Amino acid sequence: MNQAELILFIVKLWGAAGALVAIPFLIFGIDRLDEDARGAYVFRPLLVPGILLIWPLILWRWYILADGKDEWSHRYRPRRHNHQWFAMIMPVAIIVIIVAGLSVRQSWPADILPERLAPPAEVSE
Amino acid sequence: MSDKNNPFFVGYLPVPGPLRRFLLLASVLVVATFLLTGLLIGSTQDEPPASGFRFDYGRQTVTGVIELTPYPLLRVTQGNDLIKPGKTLMLTSGGKAGVDMRAMGLEGQLATVSGIILQRGTIDMMQLRGGRQGLAAAEGDPPEMVTEQLGRWKVAGEICDGKCLNGAMRPGRGLAHKACANLCLLGDVPPVFVSTQPIEGSDFMLITGPDGTRLPDAAYNYIGQFISLEGDLERRGDILVLRMDTTTMELIDG
Repeated sequence: MNQAELILFIVKLWGAAGALVAIPFLIFGIDRLDEDARGAYVFRPLLVPGILLIWPLILWRWYILADGKDEWSHRYRPRRHNHQWFAMIMPVAIIVIIVAGLSVRQSWPADILPERLAPPAEVSE
Repeated sequence: MSDKNNPFFVGYLPVPGPLRRFLLLASVLVVATFLLTGLLIGSTQDEPPASGFRFDYGRQTVTGVIELTPYPLLRVTQGNDLIKPGKTLMLTSGGKAGVDMRAMGLEGQLATVSGIILQRGTIDMMQLRGGRQGLAAAEGDPPEMVTEQLGRWKVAGEICDGKCLNGAMRPGRGLAHKACANLCLLGDVPPVFVSTQPIEGSDFMLITGPDGTRLPDAAYNYIGQFISLEGDLERRGDILVLRMDTTTMELIDG
């Protein structure tokens, strides 16, 4: 298995695990956690791509909420608290990615000519 | 405590006087920065040549002999107005998938293929229709096909997937396209080597592993990067096939 196949395999595995989480969560889990979702079904397929991506977070939040360990006043604090760091890191990261991409970029080796090293050994049909 | 004289921006209320100039300046700067950045990044990219699906040609149906290199080729024996006998077509399926499994049982036999042409300059490929409508055995004895050996060559250039290079994606090559190319190649789309200079009149050739094997694992690390390698070259109809020697593959500096 080469690196490309390994990456693809991991992505598929992640997605399959996400599907295993999405099915029970969207069928009955979401009803227990969000009373506004009860009786509403059309929007649920729209959540599938997101759940495939962040299924560990879904599982964690599902566990916290179902177990009654959640404190609603703290629910949004972590994200708001970290906004300033993300606001600073994101533009820097974008610039670093662009500069890194351009720095590893090769020049098309137009000056290297094809070279015949040996004539054909035989002619086959 | 908040200062009542400190202006505060609320999106749905009129902009406070002291903030107007700042808001105008910030808006212009943000838009100008995005425009300039887009232009600067765009200027570092090569202009993609004219390429893509040739839906304007319409669906093409031709008959020929299937050859597995191991990537399937069709050596056209009964063409049409656009695709003449003697032409060799690389074959692919819809999406990021090749037609290896469909062509496997037809090696060396006459087959009729039907689909849409992808074209980029002198290189082209056919994306087959699904099922037997796209590829089916044809009646008749297959004529003998000649493969001309062209010797061992050292070449420089880039390995791409043949479908994206032909215009399914644009630019369809280069480092930015590496992940897409790898996905296509893992899906059995035929790989293509783009040479720095024409070899035997062609800038492009189908590339395979040594001795008729699939593209070796080591090559996947170099997809989309400029490399040099050695290999045995052969001509099948109007297409070149390069059988690479994996041990000679090197990244080109610069």
